Amino acid sequence: MLISYNWLRDYCETQFSPDELRERLTMVGLAIDAVERHNSDSVLDVEVPSNRPDCLSHVGIGREVAVIAGKEVRLPRVESFKTEGRAEDLTAVEIKDVDLCARYAARLVRGVKIAPSPDWLVQRLETIGQRPINNVADVTNYVLHELGQPLHAFDFHKLAGPRIVVRRAAPGEKLKTLDGLERTLTNEMLVIADAERPVALAGIMGGEESEISESTTDVLIESAYFEPNSVRRTARQLGMDTEASRRFERGADIEGVLRAQERCVQLICELAGGVASEDSIDIYPRRFEPRTINLRPHRVRDLTSLSVQPVDVVRILTGLQFNVSEEGEQLICTVPSWRIDVEQEEDLVEEVARHTGFDKITDQLPPASASGEYQPSEMKQRLLRRAFNAFGFDEAINFSFIERETQFEPIPLLTTGEVQQPLLKNPIIEEAAFMRYTLLPGLLNSLRHNLNHGIRDVRLFEIGRVFAMTSLGELPAERLALAVVATGGANEANKAQAERDLDFFDVKGALETAIDWMSLSPLSFTQTAAAHLRAGQSARIKLNDGTEIGTIGRLAESVAANYKFRYPVYVLELDLDTLLNGPARVVQYAPLPRYPSVVRDISLLLDRSVSLDELLNVVKDRQVADFRSVKLVGIFEGGNIPSSKRSVTLRLEYRSDERTLRDQEIEERHAQLTSSLLDTFAAEQR
Amino acid sequence: MAEEQTEQLPAQQVEAAGKAFEQEFERFARFGDAAQLAGLDLDAALAEQRALSELRTRHLGKKSALAAAKKLVGRVAAEERPAFGQLVKEIEDKVVLELDAVELNLKNQIEEKRTARETIDVTLPGRRPPYGHRHPITLLRERIEDIFVALGYVIEDGREIETDFYNFTALNIPDNHPARGEADTFYTNDGFALRSQTSTVQIHAMQRRGVPIRMIAPGRVFRRDTPDPTHNPMFYQVEGLCVDRGITMGHLKGTVTEFLRRMFGADTVTRFRPSYFPFTEPSAEFDFSCFKCKGAGCRICKNSGWIELGGSGMVHPNVLRAVGVDPQEFSGFAFGLGIDRMCALMYELDDIRLLFENDVRFLEQFE
Ligand SMILES: [Zn+2]
Repeated sequence: MLISYNWLRDYCETQFSPDELRERLTMVGLAIDAVERHNSDSVLDVEVPSNRPDCLSHVGIGREVAVIAGKEVRLPRVESFKTEGRAEDLTAVEIKDVDLCARYAARLVRGVKIAPSPDWLVQRLETIGQRPINNVADVTNYVLHELGQPLHAFDFHKLAGPRIVVRRAAPGEKLKTLDGLERTLTNEMLVIADAERPVALAGIMGGEESEISESTTDVLIESAYFEPNSVRRTARQLGMDTEASRRFERGADIEGVLRAQERCVQLICELAGGVASEDSIDIYPRRFEPRTINLRPHRVRDLTSLSVQPVDVVRILTGLQFNVSEEGEQLICTVPSWRIDVEQEEDLVEEVARHTGFDKITDQLPPASASGEYQPSEMKQRLLRRAFNAFGFDEAINFSFIERETQFEPIPLLTTGEVQQPLLKNPIIEEAAFMRYTLLPGLLNSLRHNLNHGIRDVRLFEIGRVFAMTSLGELPAERLALAVVATGGANEANKAQAERDLDFFDVKGALETAIDWMSLSPLSFTQTAAAHLRAGQSARIKLNDGTEIGTIGRLAESVAANYKFRYPVYVLELDLDTLLNGPARVVQYAPLPRYPSVVRDISLLLDRSVSLDELLNVVKDRQVADFRSVKLVGIFEGGNIPSSKRSVTLRLEYRSDERTLRDQEIEERHAQLTSSLLDTFAAEQR
Repeated sequence: MAEEQTEQLPAQQVEAAGKAFEQEFERFARFGDAAQLAGLDLDAALAEQRALSELRTRHLGKKSALAAAKKLVGRVAAEERPAFGQLVKEIEDKVVLELDAVELNLKNQIEEKRTARETIDVTLPGRRPPYGHRHPITLLRERIEDIFVALGYVIEDGREIETDFYNFTALNIPDNHPARGEADTFYTNDGFALRSQTSTVQIHAMQRRGVPIRMIAPGRVFRRDTPDPTHNPMFYQVEGLCVDRGITMGHLKGTVTEFLRRMFGADTVTRFRPSYFPFTEPSAEFDFSCFKCKGAGCRICKNSGWIELGGSGMVHPNVLRAVGVDPQEFSGFAFGLGIDRMCALMYELDDIRLLFENDVRFLEQFE
């Protein structure tokens, strides 16, 4: 809101320059965005907090300045003016919907001459960015910016009746507002009507038909109090935002209605001539009850640590026009009608504190109490991030909303049956109206974004929440998920050319490393089909207690095609909540061997369908004496090996804890294991 | 030759051996000048070294002419023996001296060439796997968490889709407050809110842990802003809460200032300005002295020397009452600030939409 420095000084003496005022007002909670020179005046752009509509005027700001400067605020003096006739003999006012209008006052000025405003008025309005129209309209606008009370002037002869009826609009009723737009109204909207039809949108804008024109001679001045919520709702629904609506929707000063009207009428008589009615028709069905709040002065120190002398507490509050009386230890404070924000003791503490100065509060740390705590899984999550970083994965963050998505299998435990994405009632990005149940679409879009910028080698991971509907009206399920996408070459840091392309095992290896770093039990991977993964290159990920937590594999061609990926993309997604709470790795010391071990390699020609896990399990299950460990040496395919087969070479270790094994013993044991494997898998030895 | 030698006088034999050496050595003599070796490559130099070594054996070894001549000392007259001895020594010394000088030069040259051949380019990249990067928001979040854990705070997080009660009512946000409107807050079609601040977590935490409590809640929040260079409909925030007996605004100011000093340096200064938030009373916005220009004025602080960072205040009694805490016995402060905003300030981002585009050229800049 713009405030003219010169105009402001009509209401309070102050030695402060505009720049000093900027600083001082900022420090009492009225931030000044800018101070600009305007001819011989300065304009302050004040950011008024939403709970302080009383500051939306020059007098309102003046009240704060007066306390800062230790002066009194001077309200504009209403000079005498000519009056004739009682208002009720000339017109009538009826409030039909008292819930939306607590007070309505109407007063007439007859015999005005509509003309341009005098220079001083034009200048003042122009300084604060208002466009002058004519003397009557300008006066209503002037008083609004002076006292904060919105006013409206009707051409009295255009009012049928002539009378004023404050009522809800009939559904579908129409009104052409001053901006020239025809508005269709609903029965939730409050209008000012005459005997026949709406003539103004209450508290927002007047109607075109009753607008002041050059031929206007008699005017009816409206000053009223409209219910904030009603004005806000109507203004939103119609997409309107006016000087009047901005004040009514935050809360006007119901007790200031007549004073503003009188000031307005006086200025009209002075500037446009005319004779005012002797009084107003003031319909005031819901009387204002002043609030009284007790302040225990020690509460100021309790909450702020400021020691403010009682005399200063009283000075500040009375300066702000609270009525203060002492009763024992307490101050009984009556809140001025315009201070709708002050409701309880703490609000008074704030008044005292801000006018004493927050800068007077000494910085202190609270006395030490308990020790700090991370979230239980935070350290594991940090290791997880670091592990993926160590394998070249960058951390991504995507929006939680995506489009409707059905291609991806959700992580287990998020939902049972078909996944239902929570739908946003009011999305801001049209194509992202659903909450994500999977992190993969976001990551794949990020991948697409990078490919579009010519980056071919991309590895990303994301940790974030995923959502699914449970049942309508119940909070959706939320789980923390981890997802990974990777494509391109397995390049080293600072090297341009990769020696090979990334594959399934790069992603699996990064995950396994992360598991190790987090000291969790190893995972198992079983071949499986999943909707979004390519058949034959996809696996289900399980904890070692068998709990399924997610999937890993190569992105299915059908999904890849939707993102226009031309190279293989590997993805993984799992339920991170479950993983982080999964079994920890058991660490137990094993005595160091006292006798040497001997290793033997064995190469088996096996059916391709035999997995390494199956093979290793059989090796371990046989429990051949002195067998210690088995490791994969390598897998060979192609060449002279039939396409349905592959050759697997294992390295087996034999060792006794009692003695050094003799060659013959080792050969016996190895032969036993070998023949068992050959039998079990119908394999050939190579 | 042997026969001839026997016929020669011992002195003549010694001199002949010296001459023979000189003749063979002639081709190496130039190596006495190190500069003459420069043109020689490593293999040629090694060949010359071998040749020289053979030359030495031939002329100074046990089977050399010089050695043979020395054995003739018995045949020299007693009075001539000192002169003969002198002659042998002179010639032998000369041979040794000349060989040593040349061999040393050659040895140095070989060492030099060998070093040159085996020199590695130490600026080649070290052998290491590719490395990825944490998201800048994670970097900041972890730093903030570390600071507050050290100050005795617990870290909390909670749901991102919330009920009206936790997102608004318990925070003393009135029914008609614009923040509740569909223009500002996202709603699911069955009426739940995407949390618009992590204060929701404070309510859950106070209900679960009770008071006294010191906690911060970093997390993702949602507001209905159209994406543009300074807005995203989703961003990260951290909110802090401290409730105990005897907590004052002095503690609020002290805590926020301490945090900012640990974050931006010990010379950081803060400024608290009165403001309005429904969930605190009194309320204050806080600014801190620009970390870039130290208050002198620059682009980051728009020449004011101050950077606006967040909101704070004393927890509103209605908020304490909503979780069953007596505001007469307990008081507390709360504060909140945007991690994205901090990130934009610290790294001078001109478009915060970059934070969620996940362009790897962006992500790789922050650690
Ligand atoms: Zn600066």
